[in-house]
Amino acid sequence: MGAVTDDEVIRKRLLIDGDGAGDDRKINVLLKSFTKWCNSPATPEEGFTQYQRMLGTLAQCEFSMGKTLMVYDMNLREMENYEKIYTNIEQNITSAHEKIAECKKEIQRAKRIRKNRQEYDALAKVIQQHPDRHETLKQLEALDKELQQLSHIKENVDAKLELRKKQFHVLLSTIQELQQTLENDEKSDNDDNSQESPAENGE
Amino acid sequence: MGPVELLHMSVFSQSFSPCGRFLAAGNNYGEIAVFSLSAALSPDATAANQKPVLTFTAHEGPVFSLLSTDVHLFSAGNGEISAWSWTELSKKNVKPLWTKRPNYKSSLEIPEINAMVINPRDNSLVVGGGDNNIHILDLEHGVFKAVLQGHSDYIHCVSVRDREAEILSGGEDGAVRMWDSRSSQCVHCIEVHKYESCARPHIGKWISCLTTDSDWMLCGGGPSLSLWHLRSLSPTSVFPLSGCQRQAAFYQDMILAVGEGAFVSHCLLGGEVKAQIPCTPQSLNTLQLNTNSTEHRVLTVGGSSDHIDVFTNLSYKAFSLSF
Repeated sequence: MGAVTDDEVIRKRLLIDGDGAGDDRKINVLLKSFTKWCNSPATPEEGFTQYQRMLGTLAQCEFSMGKTLMVYDMNLREMENYEKIYTNIEQNITSAHEKIAECKKEIQRAKRIRKNRQEYDALAKVIQQHPDRHETLKQLEALDKELQQLSHIKENVDAKLELRKKQFHVLLSTIQELQQTLENDEKSDNDDNSQESPAENGE
Repeated sequence: MGPVELLHMSVFSQSFSPCGRFLAAGNNYGEIAVFSLSAALSPDATAANQKPVLTFTAHEGPVFSLLSTDVHLFSAGNGEISAWSWTELSKKNVKPLWTKRPNYKSSLEIPEINAMVINPRDNSLVVGGGDNNIHILDLEHGVFKAVLQGHSDYIHCVSVRDREAEILSGGEDGAVRMWDSRSSQCVHCIEVHKYESCARPHIGKWISCLTTDSDWMLCGGGPSLSLWHLRSLSPTSVFPLSGCQRQAAFYQDMILAVGEGAFVSHCLLGGEVKAQIPCTPQSLNTLQLNTNSTEHRVLTVGGSSDHIDVFTNLSYKAFSLSF
């Protein structure tokens, strides 16, 4: 709604009014007919008809003036209305801008959250590949028990081995001693025999 | 630059300026071109705005790595690191601030520098290259303060794990090594090609792409691109991408990856490939997201072409910048 220049106003008025046609002309004509009626030496009936005609023209002029006033009022109110709508739209634009900024922030947040979720998923995939912790613990416990049992058995077997070794040792050493004793006995017997025979030979 | 040179051009590295309005790209001829993003993204941009505002020869060899800090642009080429000031570059002054060379043991050949990354904890530049070692340059004092040795073949990519102060490096020998940045010791070594789920023996075992966000790591190359959980050092997802991936990035809830193939792959953390967006270059080398600016949040990719594709919306290519 730019400012209307004087040229525009004059052009518009000329276009509408032409060369004095319209309301302006009506008023001029009324004035002329009024002066003519005041100075006319015509009959009272003619004068009356002219008077009636003038009243009619006056009424017409008043009517058109009233109409123009109402149109002017209407234009003012329309302008106000448009102003209101304009400010309303401006407010809407700013609030839409704000909403867009808000939504952009939201989308950034949502993208971050999505990225985090994807990271969790990726890690979860890796973790799933490894066996369950409980199962592994159970397996470990079972293995532990087996290990204990086996070491127990080993201890027992070791102890038995020791015992047998000792027993064999006792047996072998007894045999050794017996052998020694027997040898000693044989030797002493031989000695006795050899001592006796020279003694016999000597006699 | 004749048409034949343009045909054979490859863009190896990109970096956004700290204000987010400029993009620097390095190619295989040793040139760095600075593009004005604000001009190219403005509503009345013309074809001239998609050309660089400044092109200069930075090194004698290809510029394999570019890195920006708040004030500087670091470029690596021909075995040396040059530092440029962004303010000077915006005034079209192409004199480097300094040029340094790490202490290479062999003086016969000059190993190339493949990757650089900034370690913000102690303001140092971590450089990995062809001599199988990682050199750490202290930016405050300007001296190389440490050398991390352990790789048996050249290093493709380095990355920094902020929270635990670790440096990760991936190399041609197929190992991803994690180094403690304070004690300069190798903490872990993951041989990715030994894991059946990711290994692709028919392609190779090198690791050309490595990125991390402290809890997770993406690595790929010869083996398929895979997502690793760093606390447990186990691969959680393997992405079914056919080519070798050369660069990958975490972006919001997605993973963006580029490599062999004329497309940018969008993948979800769960291991599925959501979309593959076609691009101009036949094979892509570098992918960068402009996080320094809110109004020019674009993704740019470059590869074996003189065009750099710019994505304003990740779902489609908006336009291309060209050298």
